[in-house]
Amino acid sequence: MEEFEKTLSRQQAAIEAERCLYCYDAPCQAKCPAHVPVPEFIQSIRSGNLHGARTLLQTAHPFIETCGRICPEEAFCQSVCTRSKIDAPLRIRELHRFVTDSTDPTDRMELPEVTVGRVAIIGAGPAGLTCARELRIRGFSCDVFEARRMGGVPSQEVSTHRYPQKVEEREICFLASVFATHVYTKHVTDVKPLIADYDAVFVATGLPSESDMNIDGAQLVGVHHARELLRRMKSGVISGAGNRVGIIGGGNVAIEVASMLREEDPTRDVTVVYRRGIKELKAFKKEIEEATALGVTYQFLAIPDKIVGNHHVEGLQVTQAHLCEEDESGRCRFEPLPGSSFIIPLDTVVVAIGQRVDEDVFPGLARGNSGLISVGENMETSMPGVYAGGDAVHGAQTVVEAVRDGKKAAEQIAALVAGGK
Amino acid sequence: MYREHDLSYDFLGIHLENPFILSAAPPTDELDIAIDGLKAGWAGVVLKTTSVEGNPVNLKYPMMSSFGTAAHKLWGLGNIDLISQYHINEICERVKTLKGMFPTKMVAASIMGSKKEDWQSLVWQLKKAGVDLIECSFSCPQGSMGEAPGRMLAQSIEATEKVARWVKEAAGDTPVLIKITPQVTDIVEIAKALKRSGVDGVTASNSVPALIGVDVETLEPLPSLFGEGAYSGMTGMVIKPLTLRTIAEIARNVDITISGNGGAYSWSDAVELMAVGASNVQFCTLPMHHGFGTIRDLKSGLADYLDRKGYASPLDIVDKALGSIKGQEELVAPHSHSDIDIDKCIGCGNCFRACNDGAHRAILWDAEKRQPSVDADKCPGCGQCMQVCPVNAIRMKEELDGKVHYFEFGGTHQV
Repeated sequence: MEEFEKTLSRQQAAIEAERCLYCYDAPCQAKCPAHVPVPEFIQSIRSGNLHGARTLLQTAHPFIETCGRICPEEAFCQSVCTRSKIDAPLRIRELHRFVTDSTDPTDRMELPEVTVGRVAIIGAGPAGLTCARELRIRGFSCDVFEARRMGGVPSQEVSTHRYPQKVEEREICFLASVFATHVYTKHVTDVKPLIADYDAVFVATGLPSESDMNIDGAQLVGVHHARELLRRMKSGVISGAGNRVGIIGGGNVAIEVASMLREEDPTRDVTVVYRRGIKELKAFKKEIEEATALGVTYQFLAIPDKIVGNHHVEGLQVTQAHLCEEDESGRCRFEPLPGSSFIIPLDTVVVAIGQRVDEDVFPGLARGNSGLISVGENMETSMPGVYAGGDAVHGAQTVVEAVRDGKKAAEQIAALVAGGK
Repeated sequence: MYREHDLSYDFLGIHLENPFILSAAPPTDELDIAIDGLKAGWAGVVLKTTSVEGNPVNLKYPMMSSFGTAAHKLWGLGNIDLISQYHINEICERVKTLKGMFPTKMVAASIMGSKKEDWQSLVWQLKKAGVDLIECSFSCPQGSMGEAPGRMLAQSIEATEKVARWVKEAAGDTPVLIKITPQVTDIVEIAKALKRSGVDGVTASNSVPALIGVDVETLEPLPSLFGEGAYSGMTGMVIKPLTLRTIAEIARNVDITISGNGGAYSWSDAVELMAVGASNVQFCTLPMHHGFGTIRDLKSGLADYLDRKGYASPLDIVDKALGSIKGQEELVAPHSHSDIDIDKCIGCGNCFRACNDGAHRAILWDAEKRQPSVDADKCPGCGQCMQVCPVNAIRMKEELDGKVHYFEFGGTHQV
């Protein structure tokens, strides 16, 4: 699948780099959860020093190939770009991507001997692999346990038009082969057996389970979970979706699965069914634009009542909503319009209403109200020596936030081990 | 539909429709191109320098190079060009053709020779063809042809005076301009030599001898022809400050007519050159970059300026800035300090960093608000902060005798 966005040309990048104001104590850098030194790497683009730019990026951030493509810049660096006060923000993510696409990841590696300690990392997503890298750099050996495909959500669930396989392989293979001592394909559900063998454990399993739709017809043939479908398509298996697909939800996963279903079969109708309006969609702007360009359509202000059908899905009955005042989050509340229900004829319904916390795994780790694993300021769980981060702790978040967690956990683990010796 | 402001005046007895002339360079080296330039509205042409037979013109292509940034490639333009490959006979034919087509425009020609006979024969032929003015290149950056390759005639006071006399002797009542180089120890001495020689004026000045660059991958000089390169003549906006100083120095010290040349890219650049002493302004890099159509903005921009300032003629601008150019030691010492307009400030912190790392550590930084402030006791008002401010939110403030003065960022114009 061809990528949606092209890498900036050398000339485009150089011209864009000239717009940077090189702010002192730059807000973009502070806003980046991984604290990528934005003005400095842009200055290196301007001077033609792309290897220097890459070194800056990869020192701050192991998932630079990934974030150069899928980081929602409007939520981070670009949202605070000072240049917006003159005209428009710098295209920081695209400049970042220009650097990673123009340089080689294996440049100039120098790692210390493994002498400091051993850490088990459960989950080879952005949080887990970041933690592994940061610990390996500090002289730890890291055993990584992963039940599924390496790389976490981007590898498993982000469509190839935004995150091509060659980019994924380049980044994830590099990280796993250079920084992980062993990678075990194993579904770990309890940390206790690991504690004796390791100085510390980092739990970064994400939230693989999905919420169910509690409406009639949810058990019909033709009802799917969005992320499961994404994982299936990402691994090369056909989705099995029909020709008239309705996707319930308005977040990134809903938009992602809609795009990927259109990609899989461009003759298929794919409609995102959402309770509120276009402004309230929670997905990132760029993903919505790309989905729209792929031909995804929308049914806004539609509250799902039930999935209709006899054994197999035949449609989705929805009630029309109207928007009311804004809630605390700034999004409009919605209310059903009585007597306005209608049926959207569909042969497939995809449920994309969020992840579910699986409280059966990791017995002994204290959990918060929402069922997510609780950690203290130092990322340590209720069990000494066991740390946790990423989606398993915070709920669904971005790659760069998982990277931040991985970095922080590694720091804390290193401090713990140093203190204990 | 709209009234055209009259920009015409008299220059060395020649009628100029406006002060903007196409200089002796590629835009005047082909008859049809020169015709298009004059049709577009330029007031005159100086046909590209010609010489006598027997002086081979071995051009090496590519001859052009430039330097700048990705977004502004052409801060400076370089060439290893030589004089025209066209023979004097051809140039004389062109003078006749152009005078026939454009009787109200200035048709000048540029010449270069080595021996006295060469110079004088060139002058006689041009006079016979009816040329309005003769410009003599004493300053080709590739060196004068003949006697001293690699050196420029206008780098020698004695040679300059001697050759200028030969030319003026032959030219008689036809005006003669000598085009000089800014690369001399003392430009005033050269201008005085020209004054003594009796020529009518000086064209200040030619392209600046320069090495445009070195390719860091191959370590070849730029422009590189099979790995080897030569010094270029540099033109374009980057040389304007050099030209301004050259013209001003001549105008402050020698009573001689000056045709301004070198680095003007807009009507306001032209006003600057005239304000320090030029009576007209020659252009080459601007039309080579953006075409002959630039004359429209030059004319309308100048016309608007004259209206706003209440000047009747472009000549009213000439020398207006000269009286204020002083030696540094003569300037009044202000006691100013940086004054930041927080409403304009966008919080980039460039002023703070510039002051902290390169000036007086007199700007304080509120990291929380992302706001600079000035410690007036430490700030001597050097002005570096206002150079780096991307939005011109900073000026230098001085309170003297109960009156407030502001020193503002120069080079920008209120719109």
